[in-house]
Amino acid sequence: MTTAATGASRPGVSVGPTSEFSLFFRVKPGQGGALRAALHDLQDTPGYRPGDYGMAVGTIHEARFVLFDDDTRLAFVTSFDGPWDAYMEDFFTSGPTLALFDVIFRHAEGYDGLPDLPALKAFIGGAQQTAAAYARNYPGTVKEIRKSQRVNTAFQQVLDHSDAAEALQHPALKPLLDEAAD
Amino acid sequence: MDTVTARGEQVRLELDDIQSGALHERPSPYVGTYLLLRIDDRGAGRELVRRLQHIVDNGRPSSDPAHDAWITAAFTYHGLKALGVPQSSLDSFAPEFRQGMAARAALLGDVGDSSPEHWEKPLGTSDVHVALAALSPDRERLQAVVEKARRAHAELAGVEVIWRQDCYQLESGRTSFGFKDGIGQPAVEGSGRPASNPKERPLKAGEIILGYRDETGELPPMPVPEVLGRNGTYVVFRKLHTRVAAYRQYLRAKSASREEEALLGAKMVGRWQSGAPLALSPDDDDPALGGDPQRNNAFLYGDDPRGLKCPLGAHARRANPRDALDGDGAVDVRLHRMIRRGTSYGPMLPEGTLEDDGVDRGIVFVFAGAHLKRQFEFVKTQWLNDGIFIGAPLETDPLVGPNDGSGSFTVPQRPIRRRLQDLPPFVVTRGGEYCFAPGLRAMRWLAELES
Repeated sequence: MTTAATGASRPGVSVGPTSEFSLFFRVKPGQGGALRAALHDLQDTPGYRPGDYGMAVGTIHEARFVLFDDDTRLAFVTSFDGPWDAYMEDFFTSGPTLALFDVIFRHAEGYDGLPDLPALKAFIGGAQQTAAAYARNYPGTVKEIRKSQRVNTAFQQVLDHSDAAEALQHPALKPLLDEAAD
Repeated sequence: MDTVTARGEQVRLELDDIQSGALHERPSPYVGTYLLLRIDDRGAGRELVRRLQHIVDNGRPSSDPAHDAWITAAFTYHGLKALGVPQSSLDSFAPEFRQGMAARAALLGDVGDSSPEHWEKPLGTSDVHVALAALSPDRERLQAVVEKARRAHAELAGVEVIWRQDCYQLESGRTSFGFKDGIGQPAVEGSGRPASNPKERPLKAGEIILGYRDETGELPPMPVPEVLGRNGTYVVFRKLHTRVAAYRQYLRAKSASREEEALLGAKMVGRWQSGAPLALSPDDDDPALGGDPQRNNAFLYGDDPRGLKCPLGAHARRANPRDALDGDGAVDVRLHRMIRRGTSYGPMLPEGTLEDDGVDRGIVFVFAGAHLKRQFEFVKTQWLNDGIFIGAPLETDPLVGPNDGSGSFTVPQRPIRRRLQDLPPFVVTRGGEYCFAPGLRAMRWLAELES
């Protein structure tokens, strides 16, 4: 059972199994430059380096930090598999994400630092805005997409085999043969 | 004996103030009775609570589950209201509790035949005020405690018994589906009960009992005043009808032999009928393993990420994925554990029978924990009813999920995975409620309310 699209009672809009999650913060006065530097450093950590494709949270499709209004505002925008509000406490107690974000959020107004979890929940909750419109161009969770990619890589390896055309003649492989021409 | 935690801090549970039903091991065999009461007169209701406070069980839970019979008392939102608990206090309870289970039905997947309009009366209505559970190793001792409860309410005009459900362990010692159950309870710090899984640290006490630190390091949200909330626990009960004939017919239709039926059944549950976990005995049942409490819960899933031994979608792996999601970075499994106290009702469908005999049988599922939303509701909605977390959004729990005849269940195996199709519902919700089991001081406070 998937979460209902545009689920009414939940914060954040969902499409199929995936929900949008968007946070908007005010940057502490005079800290725009430091925040920009911290985000530059984040880009160098494992998972955020171009081509890594392995963020600490394995259930988000992508993540972006956007500084705007002359570096006085910060947006964090992502797409998450599942209803993100159900996982809010998990984010705060599992994985390295919190430490990673601590060096960023400390430049945002209203952030009291770790480890005050109720305050942190209020900080995140207060920054969340539900999208007015949200669409996705493919169905599927990160886990399904990765599985699809593994299967396609394997299929391409099969096609590169010199006996592939002959092997794919079996009636059971008809759907694969239909995908083999290009 | 108080538990010393990994960090060296000592948790001292006020066991004399805690109703010990949540911490007791279920005896085996067991018999039990659940009673629901309605309070029509506030004074009589308070007198009932005063009397109940003397007959509920408290103190250190015995390490011997067969030591005695015990009674647990819990109250619904409407029950607390009927007792005259001030509105400011009522408002301080968890929102899910205030709404009640029927209002949460759509979210919980209680739709179709399981929806509240079909529930057994008075389940799901505002008439349900007090829930009493009596559990015992034998009928004699059960009758003795039920008689105590009867004396507590019988001569009180203005308190009515409105529902009763008797339970007993089937002669097989297993559920109506044929499986050994009651395995895999988490240990709780300070309860004095040893862990059944040596690979899992005991849970922080605040995951189960209000007033103590939980796994986040915080105190769970607690109703006010403190005397009412402290040492209490939220309780969920659900009467779940099991469609045993449909289950047997389905396995029979999908299998070429009795051995294959047993294997498919085990793949759906995550354990063999004996209780032996697939994670430790993937190919054959191992009754000695299943019956050994030292071993039947001592496992993880980390060596089986693809589910070749135990499917990712198997009931037991969904209900407690152990370490299977550690790589996700998004889930802390320890925030979603709970105390479960399932008991069977109704007679067994005779062995080998494939036709429904029309008799009601199933399980009264009981949850105890400090967090209705992130424990019971999370596990029910994210792990049992949904498949997003295992990368199969269209699959639900093959045994207890809200299947509608179109669902599937993937059984990983070499060389080619098997996919069971057209899963019908095997479990129908007959009703249930969210309750609060207060500590003994809190019961005194309730009995002495004035207004």
